[in-house]
Amino acid sequence: MGSLKRKSTGDTAAEPLPPPKQKQRESGSPLPSANNDEEPVACLHDVSYPEGYVPPPPPPPSSSASAAAKEFPFTLDPFQSESINCLENGESVMVSAHTSAGKTVVALYAIAMSLRNKQRVIYTSPIKALSNQKYREFKQEFSDVGLMTGDVTIEPNASCLVMTTEIWRSMQYKGSEITREVAWIIFDEVHYMRDRERGVVWEESIVMAPRKSRFVFLSATVPNAKEFADWVAKVHQQPCHIVYTDYRPTPLQHYIFPSGGDGLYLVVDEKGKFREDSFQKGLNSLVPASEGDKKKENGKWQKGLAMGRVGEESDIFKMVKMIIQRQYDPVILFSFSKRECEFLAMQMAKLDLNGDDEKVNIETIFWSAMDILSDDDKKLPQVSNILPLLKRGIGVHHSGLLPILKEVIEILFQEGLIKCLFATETFSIGLNMPAKTVVFTNVRKFDGDKFRWLSSGEYIQMSGRAGRRGIDTRGICILMLDDKLEPSTAKMMLKGSADCLNRIELVVLVMLVEANKYRSFEDGSEDGWNGDQPFHLAFLRLYGIAVDKEVSVEASLSSAFHLSYNMLLNQMRCEDGDPENLLRNSFYQFQADRAIPSLEKEAKDLEEERDSIVIEEEDSLKNYYDLLQQYKSLKKDVHDILFSPRYCLPFLQASRLVCIQCYKSEEASPSFSIKDEVTWGVILNFERVKTVSEDDANRKPEDADYTVDVLTRCVVSKDGIGKKTIKIVPFKEPGEPVVVSVPLSQIISLSSLKLFTIPKDLLPLEARENTLKKVSEVLSRFAEKGVPLLDPEEDMKIQSSSYKKAARRIEALESLFDKHEVAKSPLIEQKLKVLHTKYELTAKIKSIKKSIRSSTVLAFKDELKARKRVLRRLGYATSDDVVELKGRVASEISSADELTLTELMFNGVLKDVTVEEMVSLLSCFVWQEKLQNATKPREELELLFAQLQDTARKVAKVQLECKVQIDVESFVSSFRPDIMEAVYAWAKGSKFYEIMEITQVFEGSLIRAIRRLEEILQQLIQAAKSIGETELESKFEEAVSKIKRDIVFAASLYL
Amino acid sequence: MREIELSLNQTQKIRLKRALEKLESFSSKANSNSNASVSISDSIPVNLEDGVLKGHGTLDLNGELVATLCGVVERVNKLVYVRALRARYKPEVGDIVVGRVSEVAQKRWRLDIHYSQDAVLMLSSMNLPDGIQAYQVRESLYPLGCSLVGGGLCRPNHPGRIPTKNSLDYLIHDSGGWGHVSKVYSLGIGPKGLALVRFHVIKSRRRTALDELNMRSIFEENDVICAEVRGIQHDGLHLQARSQKYGKLERGQLLTVPPYLVRRRKQHFHHLEQYGVDLILGCNGFIWVGEHVEAKDDMVEDQVSKPEQQKFNKNSISLEDQEQTYTPIETRQNICRIANAVRVLSILGFNITIEVIMDTMNLSSSLNLDIHEMLGSEFCVLVAEGEAERRSLTKRKG
Repeated sequence: MGSLKRKSTGDTAAEPLPPPKQKQRESGSPLPSANNDEEPVACLHDVSYPEGYVPPPPPPPSSSASAAAKEFPFTLDPFQSESINCLENGESVMVSAHTSAGKTVVALYAIAMSLRNKQRVIYTSPIKALSNQKYREFKQEFSDVGLMTGDVTIEPNASCLVMTTEIWRSMQYKGSEITREVAWIIFDEVHYMRDRERGVVWEESIVMAPRKSRFVFLSATVPNAKEFADWVAKVHQQPCHIVYTDYRPTPLQHYIFPSGGDGLYLVVDEKGKFREDSFQKGLNSLVPASEGDKKKENGKWQKGLAMGRVGEESDIFKMVKMIIQRQYDPVILFSFSKRECEFLAMQMAKLDLNGDDEKVNIETIFWSAMDILSDDDKKLPQVSNILPLLKRGIGVHHSGLLPILKEVIEILFQEGLIKCLFATETFSIGLNMPAKTVVFTNVRKFDGDKFRWLSSGEYIQMSGRAGRRGIDTRGICILMLDDKLEPSTAKMMLKGSADCLNRIELVVLVMLVEANKYRSFEDGSEDGWNGDQPFHLAFLRLYGIAVDKEVSVEASLSSAFHLSYNMLLNQMRCEDGDPENLLRNSFYQFQADRAIPSLEKEAKDLEEERDSIVIEEEDSLKNYYDLLQQYKSLKKDVHDILFSPRYCLPFLQASRLVCIQCYKSEEASPSFSIKDEVTWGVILNFERVKTVSEDDANRKPEDADYTVDVLTRCVVSKDGIGKKTIKIVPFKEPGEPVVVSVPLSQIISLSSLKLFTIPKDLLPLEARENTLKKVSEVLSRFAEKGVPLLDPEEDMKIQSSSYKKAARRIEALESLFDKHEVAKSPLIEQKLKVLHTKYELTAKIKSIKKSIRSSTVLAFKDELKARKRVLRRLGYATSDDVVELKGRVASEISSADELTLTELMFNGVLKDVTVEEMVSLLSCFVWQEKLQNATKPREELELLFAQLQDTARKVAKVQLECKVQIDVESFVSSFRPDIMEAVYAWAKGSKFYEIMEITQVFEGSLIRAIRRLEEILQQLIQAAKSIGETELESKFEEAVSKIKRDIVFAASLYL
Repeated sequence: MREIELSLNQTQKIRLKRALEKLESFSSKANSNSNASVSISDSIPVNLEDGVLKGHGTLDLNGELVATLCGVVERVNKLVYVRALRARYKPEVGDIVVGRVSEVAQKRWRLDIHYSQDAVLMLSSMNLPDGIQAYQVRESLYPLGCSLVGGGLCRPNHPGRIPTKNSLDYLIHDSGGWGHVSKVYSLGIGPKGLALVRFHVIKSRRRTALDELNMRSIFEENDVICAEVRGIQHDGLHLQARSQKYGKLERGQLLTVPPYLVRRRKQHFHHLEQYGVDLILGCNGFIWVGEHVEAKDDMVEDQVSKPEQQKFNKNSISLEDQEQTYTPIETRQNICRIANAVRVLSILGFNITIEVIMDTMNLSSSLNLDIHEMLGSEFCVLVAEGEAERRSLTKRKG
């Protein structure tokens, strides 16, 4: 694959791209030469070609180039014109840039171009709300635009279709005619691909996209854009360009605001200079929380920041006040939970940021938007409570709000009528809604089950909202640090200690990178940075922090591929479909395959190393080595027999002399002499080691089951921590007499001698010393003849034939050793060691090769098999992958657990109940939040829910039996009955405020759930239709008509 | 068992009867639920207390579940339905079908696929025959001043004008088919005073009115087409052609067998390499046997077709056409042999799968039978006996 990187700046952008062939040859230095000094507006351009790709001849020079499909009223940034060039050449492009940089321009151009060429173009975004916004934006620009989300469909036959990625995927499965006419597909926010749950949708869509289509990928800055492009190039056999820039139109200043402190500390200025002194000062002014607070806050510490101390203004209030005073408004304050968001907004009660005419304006806009609601809905507490807040110029934006309120607030914010917006992360993606200032009220967020540090990618995404292009000369980012980032920790980070890198997190690091982005292009050689490595790594090294290569500031695009039954069934259903094909083409597989070259290289290096080891007389040495190995293993066999508890226990009497192995440190290379270093001791006692499976009577007696207490000479040393280590040393060396317990395996042999007397009390040192003296006396007495040992056959009565065989072979081998000529060579020990390393290398190479083999094997192959097994077992598909009746139903259901829902349907549960009960039951499939004190649903519903749980458990158990990895109970409890009652009431025709009184959930969450419920019902209608169940079909349709009304399905203001 | 319409002599009759009886005994043994076959008004044993979902072909009559169809009772969880024997073809999403164009209508073709209604293939559900690449750079020579419309080479939306630099509205039809010109790169005088035009052709694009006018150039009435069932829309059963392998079938035979003889399998397209034959077992009982056509690979196609002299000589074109459409005699024989194998199986009422077809085919060639002899009664009996033998063998093994 050809590759080239070049930096283009404003002046070069006007030139047409050099033809691809030349590009390939030219691929030179990875980083641009520093001839463009003052303009930092750089972008990197790179191309991925599929293997064996022959670039087409260059089109003749632009003499007859047709007019641009769209003219923009402003000069394009280099990365924009670079991308547009690619589009004009009809080649796919991946644009990786910050949110605020203006990626939309590329999308707009692609649409304009397609419309000019009378082709279809698809625009997909991850979020429905974003699709709505984009629809409006495009509709104003071009008229031939349609929208398809789960909720609405407008002009499905338009040339430009805006949709969610999920819709696009299901369109491809169903084979819509659109797929045949589409020329360009735009994937916005493609970095969503790493989303654990939904990411797989992007992979499916990209893999299945029509072969002849071209792509535009818009993504946040990701470090491995090239890898992604390589993948696209490989899967679709077409070149894919990468245009990468980390340029921000408005430079940012990064501040920290220490909690309890008194002001802002500039950490990174707009030129990207890191102010270490100010950073230190800021950290030092953190006020540590008192001890009592800490205990109380255990787990809920994040509240501290917002609450402030009694009688004082809270930090957040101080902050907002300061921002207003310094005219840093409008400001977005990000926090990471809906409740916190509201809570913080409530503390602004004293502030009023708007003048009277603005208040009037707000009220007009607000009520005209609310006009589509019914009178009852206008009285909802959320609606009436928020207006006073809005009038004072303070807004709240999170997913718990009614969708319509969210949209009104977005509009008011864009109009500049809201000066201070408390938002959750969701506000950071989508339409261009910048503010002058962005505040992070917290550095940690709750991530499902625990608090974690904000990731750098999140920081970058959110800080992208700071700075309004053309209005502000600089954007301001403020990070509120609480006392948990202790000054010492932060200092440690700077002073350098490796282990803290895991704890302190990348937020501060990101600032550093932000700080040095520009510098990295200009004077890279300073500070030991040589341009080969990302700056933050260089920076950390500078401070002596050892960093793993893997640490990257920007989160990279990684595959979150996983299998689902719906996916399998859909693939199996069409003749060409093959789930394995999908797996083979997945980004996951691509990334796995990437590892192979490095493994191969490792194996090759090792092989070279092995081959470089040359040993004289290798053959005979090898012979000797083998003999030695054999001898050792035989010795071990014999030892195992002798010291199996059955034989040796009767002889482990106290006062018997034993020969034991000396201490060997673990790293010591294995010895190659026939003789081990041994010493003697005296047995005092033995005992059985208690293990967990004590009661298991059938267990083979193993030697580890017993330990023998032996008195012998040892060296006792204490290391720094105070941990004692005891080494058994030979008798003659200095040491203390100590009682140690040794496992049977460490005993070499038992002598037939016993000491006559052993003092009962061995606690005094003298008693032990005396005993050992006696031992050494005995030993010296037998020094010449050798200490008499227990004879295995005569004394220990070992009759086993395997023992005899082994013993005989040992004798034979021993004689061989003597004859062996190599044995006499003086350097035998070293030579054997070399040989040993050689063998070890060989073994290592073997294992690497094995792992190469296993990674070329399809990832997910086992899971695919297991899942197919499940489908067969439950009767969804036959053994030769033909989809059956149930499978046809399940293949239509993509928004809920397809197996459980299908089983429920075929068990007749849905047919027996009333429409309202059915809707209520289905609500369990869409509700995932856990409510603490939700009231139990009434008995009929409870009963239904029990049926659902039964079915779910059965499904989960079948999966478990088929070796799908699944936790049955957590699967069953993933169905939540919490909103059954509310949905039941809604289907019965209650007003929205009435059902809000029943439940504790956020309005927005409930609305989202009901909308998703409708989506499932639509899928069920399709499913019923496809199997010809007209009765059920009409029941589902009735259900849709019952829930699809009023505020829950109020149209978006953007439409 | 249905009467088989064959003129058999006495011994053949007895042999056939014996073979069929043997087969029947296997099937009844194999089917543990052989008592599940019902005829109309038979009651279906169910445990009503457990709750039953009444599916197709069942009726609740006085608290008893009775069949309204002749067929086999199938149970899926609590759903009970009757699968009719020998029913008309009932399409399911994803089925591969072969059909015959019965009508060219607005933006759609109507196809007879042996269903109770005609199927619809939308123009937009069909790949244009040349819809291979989004872009193709082509170079062609056009006679200056020639009537572009009449020549069938270049059909501008404004007839009579040679393409110019900025004429983006031209539809150009050259050897590859129809395409929409997006960019005209150069315009010059080539050899023999022809205009040299190099242009981008966009192939995947929205269908235009012109495409609609040219629909007959893709499929005409009575063309045989292979497609996939897409689903039932409000205006009838829709088909689609996902890739290049679907589309017009030429140079072969279309056979019609009862649809229940074709079981749904993973593969319905078969390329029999040793015979150079394509076999498509349509789920609707239409079976196509024809000369093998290499499906055009999306990627291999070179990006630029070489500048080519357009052929104006009618004779030379037709000669080339003839060469293209010529099918060698061996292939023709193979096609007939396979077709006759299918016919024999259909007469006997055996399930038609690729394996059985190949067995029958091999049997006929090992007996050195002429193609026409395959339809004789003797061969029928042999096939039946062979099948009985085969099943008894697999039975024993199993």
